[in-house]
Amino acid sequence: MTARRLGGMEPAPRLRDPSELVSPRARLMWMVGGLVRAAVLMAALLVTSLVFDWYDLQWWMPVLLGAVTLAAAFVIPQWRYLVHRWEVTDTAVYTQTGWWRRERRIAPMSRIQTVDYVEGAIARLFGLASVTVTTASAAGALEIAGLDRDRARAVVDELTIKADTIPGDAT
Amino acid sequence: MTDEQAVNPYADRLPDRLVDHAEWQRLDPLMLLVHPIREVGRFLVPLIGILVAGSASGGHDWWWNVIGIAIPVALGVARYVTTSFRIAGGRVELRRGLLNKHVLSTPIDRVRTVDITASPIHRVLGLTTVRIGTGTASKKGEDELDLDGVRTRAAAALRSDLLHGTPEARERATEADNTRPVVRFDPGWLRFAPFTSSGLVIAAAVLGGGSQVLNGLGLWDQLPIDTTAERAARLSLLLLVPVALLGLALVASVLAVLGYLVTNYGFTLVYTRADHAWHLRRGLLTTRETSMDATRLRGVSLGEPLGLRLASGARLSAIVTGLDRDERGSGTLVPPAPRDLVAGVAVQVLGTPEPVTAPLVAHGPAATRRRYTRALVVPALVTVAATTLAFTADVPWETVLLGPLALAAGYGLAVDRSRTLGHALVGGHLVSRAGSLVRRRVALETPAVIGWTFSDTWFQRRVGLTTLVATMAGGRQSVTVLDVPAPVGTALARDAVPGLVEQFLVLGDEGPAGRVLEVPPEVAEPDA
Repeated sequence: MTARRLGGMEPAPRLRDPSELVSPRARLMWMVGGLVRAAVLMAALLVTSLVFDWYDLQWWMPVLLGAVTLAAAFVIPQWRYLVHRWEVTDTAVYTQTGWWRRERRIAPMSRIQTVDYVEGAIARLFGLASVTVTTASAAGALEIAGLDRDRARAVVDELTIKADTIPGDAT
Repeated sequence: MTDEQAVNPYADRLPDRLVDHAEWQRLDPLMLLVHPIREVGRFLVPLIGILVAGSASGGHDWWWNVIGIAIPVALGVARYVTTSFRIAGGRVELRRGLLNKHVLSTPIDRVRTVDITASPIHRVLGLTTVRIGTGTASKKGEDELDLDGVRTRAAAALRSDLLHGTPEARERATEADNTRPVVRFDPGWLRFAPFTSSGLVIAAAVLGGGSQVLNGLGLWDQLPIDTTAERAARLSLLLLVPVALLGLALVASVLAVLGYLVTNYGFTLVYTRADHAWHLRRGLLTTRETSMDATRLRGVSLGEPLGLRLASGARLSAIVTGLDRDERGSGTLVPPAPRDLVAGVAVQVLGTPEPVTAPLVAHGPAATRRRYTRALVVPALVTVAATTLAFTADVPWETVLLGPLALAAGYGLAVDRSRTLGHALVGGHLVSRAGSLVRRRVALETPAVIGWTFSDTWFQRRVGLTTLVATMAGGRQSVTVLDVPAPVGTALARDAVPGLVEQFLVLGDEGPAGRVLEVPPEVAEPDA
């Protein structure tokens, strides 16, 4: 500690990004998800105005909604792909998610309670899966989404073995 | 008496080897009285209907009344007969259910807390309900381990057995200097009740319940609401609003005092050395006794809501690993009381004064600016909306006053919030303070931190701030260090839990403004 604080100043410590990227196919997956969302919202708009007659449909409503949701469906996945990263070391798991709000989560290997492997409906189309690591805290789950299926299985195995070898009740 | 003991060894004596009952046993037979009374309460509404129907039909259908009494009694007996428990093989097991058989089983060493509550009915009969808390994540009511119907004296013995089952510990528990009283209820504390929000909550509940009853009895239409409203509408808003607020404050204050009395009457906090545990007892009608294993008590949260601060009061709650958020009530350590006293208890509980008294490291100008923008955005919108409305729409001219009021309130909040914000790493505890209306100073043992989250929006990254969250397995599940300068937050996480964050750090990299960030020494070492 003292060595690092020579002269009363120390260089600012900064968290680096986790080393691993998720699968490039994750962008496609997120894009499809965004398109589905855009379609659902558009359907909701048309149904509420034309079928239920809750309000008059103006021409700009579908145009605006379509423009915003489609832009989001194409831009956000690119942005998210640049942010989403993960890393597993011998003592910790480190993930980085989000696009507007970036979240970096670090969990020590000794506190890991469960490791979940999930293949979502859309993720399956692209041969992807997500790995969720939970700790004893409800606020501390780490999710790595959009991993290549085989890669995800390997990560699950690695985490299970590493978490198992460390004693303690994880609280 | 001997028969009874054969049924339930916990019934009315202190057997020397309590945690040694391999046989399934029923709860206290006096529960045969409690259950029907409770079932009657549960069926009160249909019962009244049945009785009314019975008498309305001219008394011929007397059997309606019999059914009305018999069903609850039968259910009560069934409940008693179908519920049994045993403590065997290092496990507590509870078997119950009339139609759905349900067996709950938990290892004794998983027991984190033991609550002993006694409703007024229980107290008359000398019984208690023992709730065994294991820190399960399950939210289902049927997964709770309640032994409903244990004699008061036996309950205490059962608790001490569950929390520390060794004979030596039991031996030490009988020593004279074992218990150390820490705080005792003082009627003077009642003065803090009006400064809490509980009065408003109770008032809302009373209002809701009252209106429902009025509605049900058809009295609603008879209330002179229309004429009152007409008369009130003729008064000026400037008079009406303050008068209404004053009346509400008065009613809420009275209700708050009553509520405080009912919940906290007879409050005592006791520390017992033998089992290293804290015991909290309180309640006017229903008494409740909570025991917390001190080794599981990993920190405290000193709450100073705005109201309490005005009366220089505070409240204290415990962060116990294995207690989830829904059990927040059992996390209470001291109800609203004088601040100095509360701080003193916090020091005793933590075993070190620094986390409670040490000055905090402020988060700097960027965090302060953020407090102001965030507190003033909504009032600014309100001002614009109110002014627009006042000049264009048909609303009372006083609407204009909403803007300045909202701005003043927002400004006050911002000033207070930025003054409050701070953190420290002292005495082995991570300390964080934030908030204005609900100001909290949270101190958490650093070994209880089981993960870190750094979260920052684009706005925060732009000004070099981050929100550091330490996750934990108890209390609110996390401690938040709001809007801390990113390098300071990173250093804090690095120093609080050695060997975790270091591997992901790079030193002296470029900050968001393109210059090398440096941590001033007083920020880098808050405990210096």
